[in-house]
Amino acid sequence: MISQPDIAALLITLKLAGTTTLILILLGTPLAWWLATTRSRARSAIEAVIALPLVLPPTVLGFYLLLSFSPDGPIGATTSALGLPSMAFSFWGLVIGSAIYSLPFVVQPLQNSFAGLGRMQLEAAATLGARPLDRFISVVLPLSKMGYLTAAVLGFAHTLGEFGVVLMIGGNIPGETQVLSIAIYDHVEALEYSQAHWLAAGLLLCSFLVLLMIYSANRRFHLMKTT
Amino acid sequence: MIKANLQLSKSGFKLEANFSVPGRGVTAVFGPSGCGKTTLLRAIAGLEPEATGSLSVNTELWLGANARTPVEERRVGVVFQNPSLFPHLTVEENLLYGRKRLSKVTKPIEKNELIASLEIEKLLLRYPTGLSGGEKQRVALGRALLAEPKLLLMDEPLSALDLNGREKLMLLLEKFLQKIDIPVFYVTHSSEEVARLADNLVLLANGVVTDHGSIQDVLGAVDGDLSRSDTAFSVIQGQIATKQLQGLISVDCGLGIVLQLPDATSMLGVRYQPGSRVRLRIRARDVSLCLEEPQRSSILNILPAVIAQLAEKPYNGSRVVKLDMAGKQLLSKISEYSVQQLGLKQGQPVFAQIKSAALI
Repeated sequence: MISQPDIAALLITLKLAGTTTLILILLGTPLAWWLATTRSRARSAIEAVIALPLVLPPTVLGFYLLLSFSPDGPIGATTSALGLPSMAFSFWGLVIGSAIYSLPFVVQPLQNSFAGLGRMQLEAAATLGARPLDRFISVVLPLSKMGYLTAAVLGFAHTLGEFGVVLMIGGNIPGETQVLSIAIYDHVEALEYSQAHWLAAGLLLCSFLVLLMIYSANRRFHLMKTT
Repeated sequence: MIKANLQLSKSGFKLEANFSVPGRGVTAVFGPSGCGKTTLLRAIAGLEPEATGSLSVNTELWLGANARTPVEERRVGVVFQNPSLFPHLTVEENLLYGRKRLSKVTKPIEKNELIASLEIEKLLLRYPTGLSGGEKQRVALGRALLAEPKLLLMDEPLSALDLNGREKLMLLLEKFLQKIDIPVFYVTHSSEEVARLADNLVLLANGVVTDHGSIQDVLGAVDGDLSRSDTAFSVIQGQIATKQLQGLISVDCGLGIVLQLPDATSMLGVRYQPGSRVRLRIRARDVSLCLEEPQRSSILNILPAVIAQLAEKPYNGSRVVKLDMAGKQLLSKISEYSVQQLGLKQGQPVFAQIKSAALI
């Protein structure tokens, strides 16, 4: 059935997806807010950059990340100057890779949600004495619940399924950087189909349930809005 | 005093608003659709960051050469055209949103009293989504007032309502706006709303303030934009008289002036009780002049008056004549031909025939 290394892979996967989602929600919020409200010309360029992972093969992203993690690369040079261990083949290297890879899945739902708010309620809040941060917390956040749920679920689920980037920059170190998708690949390579089945079917079911959750929540939300 | 000298250019539209009005009472901002009324209101609220110039409200400077009070510090209550209640908060939470953010409640507006006079007690626990348009506007008004604003701005608050809802909210506003001790700016394109609510008037046309002052002064400016337009009208205050003629409502305007109107009930049938104070709106084009008192006329109201002022020049073949009717001001718009034919002059006694007057 499920072996010790497989459980380790599962835990690493969940930790990676959780950490990445958390970081993306924190970084994605100001970025999505800026994109939803700015009139700057740079917006289109930034939007295109954020959407790149949607179209690029993950190996391309992984390749450039690997280069930048090398001692001569910008990230590698910085980490070694700070006396930190190299990012390549480490968990935090995976987090950086996943964050970039899943960025559009978090930023786009948030941006759509913010853009759909309209300015009326925010202006009303301002006239009632709420300062910008207060307005964001008391008006924008509660009205963007669905956007946040969608962003978090898509970010999490997309990181779960990641393969190419992880393989390029994380290697395949059991108990450290081996994630589920790679464990499945290894089992198949070794012709251990029944183990591969357990993991693959588990991942399939998980992903389905998670998506089912957002779609039904979305439906309830729309029904609530229209009544 | 509220003094404004505001400039704003926005996507091809230019606003040039220079006026001052008393720092109390209701000031109507009046003009046709698209003349920049809403933009002016937003600039006063501080919601148009590109507005320049100066703005002071009573003792406070909100906008100056180097000073700009951000909107959240202006303490300005706004009731927008479309009610912008917070959908995730109950009516009660909406009402308290601004009040909770006051550093201290200086002039305690009695919360329960306000809620009762806005007739929203029964809605407190509900969410805004299920409320009618009129209910939403009343909650929005309560929310603005509970934050103890120094200036209340209302942007066509009736326009999103149906006829019945409009009449109901109007009745409430009439009672309410006179009672509160805060200056109010009320944007509208309806002369009826102006006549019913306003103490002062700011006229706006194509982004430029063309006249401002007390309602009688602005309405009575015979060469002004408003007098020249089709909407030229006068407002006369009165009281429903106790002695009524059959089928008529008599309005006693004081000093012996009693106007008769056909006895039509108002939409809600509540206002024409004897003794209640009313305002009459009389369109200038519904007032004609005679040199002698007409006899046996179907026109109900024929009153002696004196010509106080004639417009300097005719406009589109008509001339506006300002009449003094025992101290009350009344405008009449008649053809230039008649002015010449009758030889009308300032100071001349005439009889004003009022074809119709609206009890509003």
